Amino acid sequence: MQHAGPSYTLSGTEAERGFKRAILRLVKGGAERLAIEAGQIDAIIDPASGNAILLPEAQWALNGRKAEANSNRFARAILDALCVPIVVLDETGIVLSANQTWCVFSVTHSGIGAGVTQGSNYLATCDNARGNEQVDGVAIAAGVRQVIGRERALFRYDYTCNSATGQRWFSLCVSSIAGDDAARAVVLYQDITERKRGDLLLGLENRVLCCLADAGNATEAVKSVIRAVCEMQGWKCGRYFSLDQSAGVLRFSESWGMPLAAVEHFLEESRGLVFHPGAGLAGRVCQSGQPLWILDGRQETGLSPTALAPETGEDGAFVFPVTSEGTIVGVLAFSNPTIREPDDRMLNSVQFIGSRLGRLLQRLEALDALRRSESRFRALNLLTSDWYWEQDRAFRFTQINAGSPFGSTDILGMTHWDLPNVVLAYSNWAEHKSHLDARWSFHDFEFATVQADGRHAYYSICGQPVYDEVGSFKGYCGTGSDITERKRAEVALRRGTQGDVASTT
Amino acid sequence: MARKKTSRAASDTAASTVVVMVLYVTESGPNSARAIANLEAICEEHLKDRYRLEIIDVLEYPRRALADGIVVTPSLAKVSPSPAATVVGNLSDKIEVLRALGIRG
Repeated sequence: MQHAGPSYTLSGTEAERGFKRAILRLVKGGAERLAIEAGQIDAIIDPASGNAILLPEAQWALNGRKAEANSNRFARAILDALCVPIVVLDETGIVLSANQTWCVFSVTHSGIGAGVTQGSNYLATCDNARGNEQVDGVAIAAGVRQVIGRERALFRYDYTCNSATGQRWFSLCVSSIAGDDAARAVVLYQDITERKRGDLLLGLENRVLCCLADAGNATEAVKSVIRAVCEMQGWKCGRYFSLDQSAGVLRFSESWGMPLAAVEHFLEESRGLVFHPGAGLAGRVCQSGQPLWILDGRQETGLSPTALAPETGEDGAFVFPVTSEGTIVGVLAFSNPTIREPDDRMLNSVQFIGSRLGRLLQRLEALDALRRSESRFRALNLLTSDWYWEQDRAFRFTQINAGSPFGSTDILGMTHWDLPNVVLAYSNWAEHKSHLDARWSFHDFEFATVQADGRHAYYSICGQPVYDEVGSFKGYCGTGSDITERKRAEVALRRGTQGDVASTT
Repeated sequence: MARKKTSRAASDTAASTVVVMVLYVTESGPNSARAIANLEAICEEHLKDRYRLEIIDVLEYPRRALADGIVVTPSLAKVSPSPAATVVGNLSDKIEVLRALGIRG
C-alpha cells in the first residue's frame, strides 16, 4: 500500500499564487512541475543561492517540531528552576526525568528517595525500604501505584526521617499526569521541617502553660515544665538551678529525667551543685542572661571538659535563663547526647518558657511570703487579743477563730448584736451600727453578756472595714478581748470606794 | 540527516545486482516521510537485501543536492546499475518507481 497523502494546492490567495509562480520559475523539468502541482514536494532548492525553500506543509511541520522542542526545553527549564525536588515516573515507577533540585536532594537526603536518579525505579526503592522507613515505604508505594493506575489523581503523605542535621520532616505529593505519554506521575518532595518544628514548639508552649496552670506549688511547676520540654524535644533530662539572691549563687533545686540508670545517676550527682555567676554553663547563662548550648560533649566551648563534666557528662546541653520581669530567678539546663543547633523559633520558645515559669515562681514565692506574713500577723494579733473575726457586708460573722468565748462555728451568720444574752443599751448599739454603716474603724467597743451563773462577762472589740482590689466594701475584720476580770475589778473597786465614802459620811 | 542502508547481500556477492539509490528529503516534510515509507515498502517487497539506500536531508546538505542536480524534495536518484534515473515526489506511484529502478513489477 503506497502512501499518497493529501495534496495541497498553491491556488487561493494572491500571495499563494505569487509564491507558486516564484517556485515554478526555479524548476525546469516537467516532472518537478507535475510533482509540485500534485502537492508531493516539500522543498525546492534555489540553484542561485543554494538555499532550500520549504513549501507550506513542510514549513508547518518544521515549525511544529521546533515548537515542540522549545516546549520541552521550556518545561525542563521550569522543572529545573523549581526549588523543590521533583521526579517524573512512568507506569512501572521508573524515573523518566528528575529536576536539578532532585539531583542534589537524592545525594544529600537520607530517607525514602535517597539515591534515586533518572532511570532508577522509585517504586522498587519504596518497596525495599527497611527498618524505620519500611512502614513509610509501603504506604508511599501504595499511594504512588494508585496514582499511576489513575485510581486517584493526588496522593499526599508526610513522613519523618533522621539526617545528619537531626530529625527532618517531608511532605510527599504525587500527582497524576493525563494523556497517553509515558509519563504517568509526578513526585514532589517538600521539606516541612521548619513548619513541623514550629508546630512542636507551639505544642510545647501550650503544654508548659497547662503545666503551670495545674501546678499546685513551685516544685510541681518546675518538674512538670522540665518533663514537658524533655518529652517533646526528645531530651534525656533537665535540671533547675534557682538563684539564691542573698548568697548570689545558683543552687540545684529540681530535676526530671528519663527512667534510665545513667540519667538517675547523673541527676543524683547534681544534688548539692552550686554555681557562682560566670562559673560553668549555668553560671555563664546566669551572668549573661542569654541561652547557651553545646551540640555534643566534644564541642569546643572555651571551658575545660572537667569544668563541664558536672553539667553535661558526655552529652550536649541546652541552658537558658528563667526570668521574671526581666530579672533572672534561675536557670534551666537540659542534657542529651546531641542537641540541635537552635533556630530563632527555638530561642523564642525557650524565652517564652523561661519567662512564664519565672513569673509563676515569683508569684508563688510572693504568695508564700504573703501567707507567712499573714501567719505572723495573726500570731501577733493573738498575742494582743483573744480572738480574730471576719464579717461580710451585712456584718455577719464569716470566720472566727477557736479562741472566741462564743465558739468558732455556733455564731457564724450572726452579728455582734445577735450574740446570745448580750447586754448593751439600744442607743449604744445604734451608735455602733452608724459607725459600721459609715465604714469607720472602731476600737475598744465594749459590751457584756449574761452568763449561766447570772454574772456578767465583758468583752472589748476592735474592727476595720475590708475592701477588695477594686475598692468594693467586703465587710469587717477585727479582734476581740475578754475584759471580764478587769471590769469586775473595776466594779469591785468602785463599790469599795463607794463603801468608804458611805462609812465616812 | 544522512543515512545509509546497506544490505548484507550487497557485500556478500559481487554477482548479485545491488541497486544503489539516494533519496533526497526534507526531514520535517510530510511528503519526505511518505517517500521514505513508500520506498522502504518497495525495497522490502522487490529488492529484499539487494539494495543500498542513502537518505540525504537537503536542509543539512543543500550543496550535495545541487551537485547531484536535485532541485526538489523528495527526489529519488538511482545511481546504479545504469541507467541512472530520478523520480520526484512522494513515490506513491509504485509503477513509476519500479520502472526507474529497473525492476519488473
